[in-house]
Amino acid sequence: MVTWSTAAPAIGSAFLASIVEVVEAFTIILVVATLRGWRPAVFGTAAALGVLAAIVLALGPLLDRVPMHLLQLVIGVLLLLFGIGWLRKAALRAGGVIPLHDEAAIFAQQMAHLGADARRRTASLNWIAGMTAFKAVLLEGLEVVFIVIAVGAGRGLLWPASLGALAACALVLVVGAILHRPLARVPENSLKFGVGVMLSAFGVFWTGEGLGVDWPGADLALLVFAALFFGAGLLAARLARALQPETTP
Amino acid sequence: MTLLNDVVAELTGMFLGDARLSAAILSVVAGAAGLIHAANLPPLAGGGLLLVGCLGVLILAVLRSARRPSGPKPPEMKT
Repeated sequence: MVTWSTAAPAIGSAFLASIVEVVEAFTIILVVATLRGWRPAVFGTAAALGVLAAIVLALGPLLDRVPMHLLQLVIGVLLLLFGIGWLRKAALRAGGVIPLHDEAAIFAQQMAHLGADARRRTASLNWIAGMTAFKAVLLEGLEVVFIVIAVGAGRGLLWPASLGALAACALVLVVGAILHRPLARVPENSLKFGVGVMLSAFGVFWTGEGLGVDWPGADLALLVFAALFFGAGLLAARLARALQPETTP
Repeated sequence: MTLLNDVVAELTGMFLGDARLSAAILSVVAGAAGLIHAANLPPLAGGGLLLVGCLGVLILAVLRSARRPSGPKPPEMKT
């Protein structure tokens, strides 16, 4: 029986992480649609979603055959690598060490790249545009698939995590279709900070369970871990900002 | 092949974007596993070391990158 306290962090993490990835993919899809129309954009996106579905269908049954402790350990370590990496970058952005991820700038950059490609190669323009959309959705989608498996597989929460990811896709598509421009106002670094915190917390929890640790409070320990990673991320961002040279206006 | 290369690069970048950070995390996990299974440390104490180690690795990795001198960069394409 899946309890809300167990499912909520999985749904929330999958939803937030997927929003970040879907916004990135949607920016590229919008570039393709703006330059070459919606047909190659939709074709490339559908083809990539088909490949991703095939990967999930092929890998899903294999997960059931792996012993639970081994699965938790492997996924826990991967989550630590992925989550702490995200949290590190989010803290560096919050501390002003690296620039914020700018979807509007990336939109303009991609428009220039695809436009230059189109001028060089007059034939098969729709093919090039479709492949651009395909690649963007496939690469960002792989991250979404990993996140769904990572936060869902250790406790039989694949369906709740998948629902979180699907809700994120639906939300970005609806808002993007209405606005018809890159979703530049999404507070992406705050989302990445939050997702990095949750993925790192899941990573410690499952790596520990995989090593035989019986965490006090069971699933509630996740909230304590998340609070500690949140505090450590904020502290790191503050220290990083203090190390930056002063800039005069 | 370009697409396959991109997929491999994406997957590698997801987990091993910063080699020193990845090595530090794997060392903390290996240390906790070794203490629990080889040195018979109580599992909860090993779990505590894992948690503290990961928090320390995060803070040190941010500080290391913040100290590294760097010029202005364009907006990043990836996370």
